[in-house]
Amino acid sequence: MIRLALPKGRIREAALAAFGIAGVEVDKLDPETRALSTRLNGGEVEVLFLKDWDLPLYVERGIADCGVVGSDVLGEVDGDLLVPARLRDGACHFSLIGKGRELPKAGEQIRLATKYPKTARRMLAERSWGAEILELSGSVELAPMLDLADLALDIVQTGRTLAENGLIEVEVLDVIHPCLVVHRAAYQRHRAVLNEWVARLEAAELAL
Amino acid sequence: MRISTGLPIGVTALLFQAASRRKSLEDALVARLAGGGYSEVVLPVLDYAEPYEALLSPASRGELYRFVDRDGEVLALRSDFTPLLARLLAPRLGGLSLPLRLFYRGDVVRWAEERSGRLRESYQVGAELLGEDGEGAEGEVLRLFLDLLASTGVPGPTVIVGFAGALDELLVSASRPSRPEEAAELTAAVARRERSAVRRLGGSAALLEVVDHGVPADPAALGTAGERLARCAAIVADLARAHPEIAMTVDLAEFAQSTLDPRLGASGSSQRSYYDGLVFRGYAGAGGLEIGGGGRYNRLFDQLGVALPAVGFTLGLDGLTSVSAS
Repeated sequence: MIRLALPKGRIREAALAAFGIAGVEVDKLDPETRALSTRLNGGEVEVLFLKDWDLPLYVERGIADCGVVGSDVLGEVDGDLLVPARLRDGACHFSLIGKGRELPKAGEQIRLATKYPKTARRMLAERSWGAEILELSGSVELAPMLDLADLALDIVQTGRTLAENGLIEVEVLDVIHPCLVVHRAAYQRHRAVLNEWVARLEAAELAL
Repeated sequence: MRISTGLPIGVTALLFQAASRRKSLEDALVARLAGGGYSEVVLPVLDYAEPYEALLSPASRGELYRFVDRDGEVLALRSDFTPLLARLLAPRLGGLSLPLRLFYRGDVVRWAEERSGRLRESYQVGAELLGEDGEGAEGEVLRLFLDLLASTGVPGPTVIVGFAGALDELLVSASRPSRPEEAAELTAAVARRERSAVRRLGGSAALLEVVDHGVPADPAALGTAGERLARCAAIVADLARAHPEIAMTVDLAEFAQSTLDPRLGASGSSQRSYYDGLVFRGYAGAGGLEIGGGGRYNRLFDQLGVALPAVGFTLGLDGLTSVSAS
């Protein structure tokens, strides 16, 4: 039995669609159920639904053998996880968001709001300007809108929220993909199943 | 006055049954090591930071606890027994009869992020065979590792075996000499088994086979390392027969970052190991907890100006105890 952790959040639908193609009977999941785990494929696959930010820890500790998590979250956790596939669907991007189009000038020091402090530090290491990082847990776009921060670093899907609030994507930094992550020891135990899933995702052009 | 019973992040106290469980496990392992002709060495928990740090990989240096002593010396808490033992033995080798079979036990302290739930202080038992080169010595040490692991009776033991430099020729041939950072990126992608990145960075079909299956379909694809793979597989097959209760696999992707070719040097900045020959890692329990590992590390003594073949391993007793208890 392989235990697969799927995210409850933004990339849930992309993950479900991908694993349906990979051969997991996700169509048998009851959308109304409050069960925390469900056995599928004749008991060969157990699916858990976890919050996106908790999921890597479950895989890292070997509670789940594998899971799907966005590369935005993966960039913030210090886990030694394998990443055999990145999914095409569910992609969005990291952007610097502000009220104006201008990036800070060389030597300038600004306030940067984000849910992703490590990603922000990596980005700042390559910039000529600096920033005080303000770590927020949600609604990061509000920070530049209400002058808590000069810029925000956050994920952008459609850009609609930004447009409706008079904000601009000042710079697109990176593409974010849902990633299949696997525990190292679990990979050894479930190599055949995992390789088959990845092969089906690649054949359907659902994986990069 | 109320006194806090809290402990710093990443440390734990073992009381009552938890303490006796770990002590029993330690005693049993130590008895086997002593019975196998290994002598105990007792090493300090404090060392000067400078010579100690010089022997650690960049990743391990980042985990080191350092502090300024009251007399102004910068000291480090022991984070790894092997470099400490090597530094102490190197100048004394002239008066010693080789080979040496040594073991040690004690705490190591390494910084780890709080979120990961990893211990910052952990207890290890380790063994080193010094002064014997060749695959016979590697086989002896791996066999000892397996014997000890089997003796603990932990459920689901798995040992992955590879050797340093196995993928060097495949990695070098896929990389442009003018872009050493691409070689480092490719090495990391193989270690993460990230197929799309391996393809994007020019990895060959053989490298993708390693990502998927741990070894290439044709060992000759590894170039000069192909023969070594055959011998490595033979050692593993032999030991697997002796320990059918342990799942053993040769997997070169698992140790992709143990490179030897200087053209892949950039990848060394992220690797944690000083191994330069056989290398192995063990997991146990339903959650596949990493419980130890080891390998050949001649180059550690090379750094100290001494030509001494060396191979050894450590076992983490915190992990073994928790897996045994569960």
